[in-house]
Amino acid sequence: MTAPPDVAGAVLVAGAQILVVGVGGPLLLGLMRKTRSRLEGRVGPPVRQPLLDVRKLFAKQRIRPQCGSWLFAAGPIVLISTSVMVAGTAPLLTTRPALGQSTDFFGVVFVLLLGSVFLALAALDTGTPFGGMGASRATTIGALAEPALLVAVLAFSIPAHTSNLPALVRDGLSNPQVIASPGRILALAAFVVVVLAESGRLPVDNPSTHLELTMIHEAMVLEHSGPDLALVTVGESMRLALLLGLLVNLSVPWGIATASGMASLVVGAVALAAKVVLAGIAIATFEVFTAKLRLFRLPELLAGAFVLALLGVVTALVAR
Amino acid sequence: MSGAVLVLEVALGAAAAAAGGLAPRNIRVRVAAALTAAACVAAIVVAVDVLGSGHPVAVRTAEILPLTGAGLVLGQLGAVLVSVTAVVAIAVCVYWPGYAHHGLSSRAASCVVPVFVTSMLVVLEAGDTVTFLVAWELMALSSLLLVLVDQDRREETRSAGQWYAVMTHAGAASIVLAMVLVSAHAGGHSFAAIRSQAGHLPGGVRDVALVLALVGFGSKAGVVPLHVWLPKAHPEAPSPVSALMSGAMVNLGIYGILLVGDRLLGGGPSWWWTAVVALGVVSALYGALQASAASDLKRLLAYSTTDNMGLVLVAVGVSGLLADGRHQTLGALAMVAALLLVVNHALFKASLFLSVGSIQAATGTRELDRLGGLVRRMPVTTAVFVVAALAVAALPPLNGFVGEWLLFQSLLHGLEVSGAVVGVVVSVAVAALALTGGLTVVAFVKAIGVGLLGRPRSPGAEAAREVPHGMQIGAGLLAALCMVLGVAPMLVVPYLERAAATVVAGGRSSVLRGGIELELSGLHGVLAPAWTAVGLALVAGVAVGTRDLVRRRPKRRVAEGWACGRELLTPRMQYTAASFAEPLERVFDDVLRPDRDVTVSHVAESRFFVERVAYRSSVGDVVERVAYRPAIRAVRWWGSRARALQNGSVHRYLGYGLVALLVVLVVLA
Amino acid sequence: MSRSGYVAMLDLGAGVVLVCAVVTLWRRSLAAIIRVLALQGVALGGVALVLGLRQHDGALVVVSFVVVAEKGAAIPAVLMRVVPRGPTSRELSPLVNVPASLVAAGALTLLAFAVSGPVVALVPTATGRLVPLGLATVLIGVLAMAIRKKAVSQIVGLLLVDNGIALVAFLATGGFPLVVELGASLDVLLVVVVLRVLGSEIRSRYGVLDLDELQELHD
Repeated sequence: MTAPPDVAGAVLVAGAQILVVGVGGPLLLGLMRKTRSRLEGRVGPPVRQPLLDVRKLFAKQRIRPQCGSWLFAAGPIVLISTSVMVAGTAPLLTTRPALGQSTDFFGVVFVLLLGSVFLALAALDTGTPFGGMGASRATTIGALAEPALLVAVLAFSIPAHTSNLPALVRDGLSNPQVIASPGRILALAAFVVVVLAESGRLPVDNPSTHLELTMIHEAMVLEHSGPDLALVTVGESMRLALLLGLLVNLSVPWGIATASGMASLVVGAVALAAKVVLAGIAIATFEVFTAKLRLFRLPELLAGAFVLALLGVVTALVAR
Repeated sequence: MSGAVLVLEVALGAAAAAAGGLAPRNIRVRVAAALTAAACVAAIVVAVDVLGSGHPVAVRTAEILPLTGAGLVLGQLGAVLVSVTAVVAIAVCVYWPGYAHHGLSSRAASCVVPVFVTSMLVVLEAGDTVTFLVAWELMALSSLLLVLVDQDRREETRSAGQWYAVMTHAGAASIVLAMVLVSAHAGGHSFAAIRSQAGHLPGGVRDVALVLALVGFGSKAGVVPLHVWLPKAHPEAPSPVSALMSGAMVNLGIYGILLVGDRLLGGGPSWWWTAVVALGVVSALYGALQASAASDLKRLLAYSTTDNMGLVLVAVGVSGLLADGRHQTLGALAMVAALLLVVNHALFKASLFLSVGSIQAATGTRELDRLGGLVRRMPVTTAVFVVAALAVAALPPLNGFVGEWLLFQSLLHGLEVSGAVVGVVVSVAVAALALTGGLTVVAFVKAIGVGLLGRPRSPGAEAAREVPHGMQIGAGLLAALCMVLGVAPMLVVPYLERAAATVVAGGRSSVLRGGIELELSGLHGVLAPAWTAVGLALVAGVAVGTRDLVRRRPKRRVAEGWACGRELLTPRMQYTAASFAEPLERVFDDVLRPDRDVTVSHVAESRFFVERVAYRSSVGDVVERVAYRPAIRAVRWWGSRARALQNGSVHRYLGYGLVALLVVLVVLA
Repeated sequence: MSRSGYVAMLDLGAGVVLVCAVVTLWRRSLAAIIRVLALQGVALGGVALVLGLRQHDGALVVVSFVVVAEKGAAIPAVLMRVVPRGPTSRELSPLVNVPASLVAAGALTLLAFAVSGPVVALVPTATGRLVPLGLATVLIGVLAMAIRKKAVSQIVGLLLVDNGIALVAFLATGGFPLVVELGASLDVLLVVVVLRVLGSEIRSRYGVLDLDELQELHD
């Protein structure tokens, strides 16, 4: 079933996707900060600020906390590896990404989970109170988001008879009514909540907080510095871009390249950027009007997402 | 030829037991371990032969058991589990000599461990009910003796032994009843004879037999609510024994359910399998929840075993439901998933128990809150533990992930073809699978992060040293297999497929294909674990290179961690196991019902100044508290009532005998 | 209207009705709950409208407008006036906490899906397969009545039940006769008005509108 490998083409596509996500991720972060600042009446840093930060961080000294071991150093590396791995193989610019035959939605979820787990382990390895606090909160939220996410994956997969990601996107292109079906819409709603939770956005986590006790994700990466912090920043922003990219490609797949070739790839990149930018601005706008939820109110939010996903499964079954 | 090897295996096991009992002290453990490992190698040889050729191997001896003789028949399903058991046992045998002086070197222990291993193998090779039951009982007794090895030193061990004894014998009684019922109605005691008569059994008999089997084998597999012995016995047994119990013995519970439900009775109505799925869902969720709240490392692993067996039962039940609805291919797929989950669980859980044994040997404790900082002191053990724990958490590129992916695929494709009721069962199963996955991640991040990383939390952990090489190799062997199967699952999947085809009647034997990739044939689903692993490794290499790209950067510096400007960080400021699990405990407060206790003591001068605050939180087993304690109280009450019958007078006892004799005579007349 | 478009619109409408039912369990603010209820009424009317246009059934079209006017506007408006301003306008401590009740709602939906097989088989048209969604709405309504304390939440539960029954009726039989539907609507409206009057009376006299507090009243 696997076609004869077109290695050069696959490497080209993977490289293009990694490049777009790798550069686009930090830019997306800058754009969201800019949007927030503008809406709050501030000027805000330029959109390319995160990229500048990363460049600066790369030149800085590496510092490790006293009891940090190899696991502490492995955290950022594994995080960025998982982000790049998914960026290379997910259907972002084209419906025929490298290794697209085997890019499974379920697999993508677990590869990204690997990155989160290593980040939490690195935080616990620092032996500081904040590292443990961040790791505890982040893994708890992850554990509660997981059911919503996987049931949403199931709801996506039922109409297409597969959990293969490129096939899901292609299915959306060929049967547009699938996208508007209530099952799909419910699953998307659940997916949005999960994306907010997994990427540490409001109302789950406040990415711009400076108060340690309220931190979730930031508390985990407090001890990373220099190039390690740069890797964490890029990895996290890539993950946000990836999740948003999957979200928009599953909900409005139009514009994504279906054929091979440079031209369609460029069109795909432009389409993806436009869609993700819109989604990012929407999230940033939403964040301006939202307060962070109390940690112990989060189960309500995530249980709601879970039930939405479950309703998505039921309606998908009913509509079958 | 294979038949002779099968006999050789049992003989080697017996020789190992004899050597363990008779050999001089200084070589006792080594000889017993070597001979047991040899028996396991023989078992693997036969199993590979069976799996390769596809024909069962049978041996009969009339002499060993009176009246019936003993019959050994190794089929494909048995062969898969024999290989798993033997691999785990070999790793344990490599580990054992290094661990021996921590309480597993006595004459009795050296004699009983080989008996335990061999009886497990014979259970899987038994070809008739009598052999099966004798081997089962031998296994139960020998494992009980091994749990009690430490009983002189610890009160908890004795209590755990009591629980285990009661549960395992109640289970065995239930299994005996099931087997007797079936063979009496079928008119023969060999499994083949029963199978040929299965269609003619009355429906009621079949139902009762299945329920009895579910109770008996379910208690062995640690299924909620019959799991209560597991979190007591597994922690108290010496670690190599825990590894055997959790890696090999619980699988026999699953084997028993498959044996009775599928092979002897040939499947049944859909409520059987719905019940199995329900048991699995409850076990998986409850086990995962308790594991994420546990702060004793071995207790955590024991609950995680309940969780994993629950997932296996979900797969088994869904397989039955689908095969029942004439979707044999999908049924076979779910069965492959179940078997792969069993194989994976055996490898990573045995490795984890062995690693914890090393940790306990080096630090003298298994309380998470008294460990920590082991990553520098015991690097190899830590690495092994991390690999195995990430495998349990189903993270790629390790074997646990492949198993869960297969289970998810079988559920997804099962959902497409099934009707409303099965659809609901499957949807619930997916939700449970997902929540379980998340909770397992919490449990094992906690186990690694609190137990092995950070600063040492006790003098024992501070003084820890790496254990002898044998112990590292024993645990590492299994962790390495986790990695191999995670990258190349097709090494074992074809064999599991054939075994699954013999279980799910009429199932096609090729549901999966591919070499490097794992592809569902006829359905749309491909997984390429090898590419994922290669890709991750490649990118990680590039990332490390990029990080170290800037050459002129100042040298790496070591600094104190950030604690809001506080100068000195102490180990006590770290998150403990209890605080790590606290948010989750709060969310699931109604299920876990933790006991929390806050004591505030004030300074003598003024009650407005607090001297110290003590916070204690412990999570007991709700099932034990709600279901078992009242039952135990009721039994005690009856016991005290019955005491009135006993006043020590011999005449009275003789009188009871007379009355009993008269009653029997009247009844018979 | 093409056939697939028609089916998609029906799916969407029925899906919105069910989601609104779940969202009433999710939100705590009474005002938000009532707004969701209004949306549900509009979606229900939409389902009736689509069915009426498709089947060229003038009476059903009329019914759809009645439904929108009553359930989408009138009843929510009446209820809104009962909702007090300030902190008492939230369902602060339902008998079952929110995550658990959401999971229960999911379970009820699955149950509805499992048991409505015979009904689906009875209905000849393609709309019958959506019956489980209506049944689930009914069950969630009963759940809401059972676990919520505020009187307004209880009325909302009752209205959920009513909406669910109406959805099942539309989907299974193409709607009640006009008179029956109008009569039922008026009944519900009357119930709401009576409850509203009673509610404000209770509140003005005892200062709360929490039904558990009423237990104190009996002698």
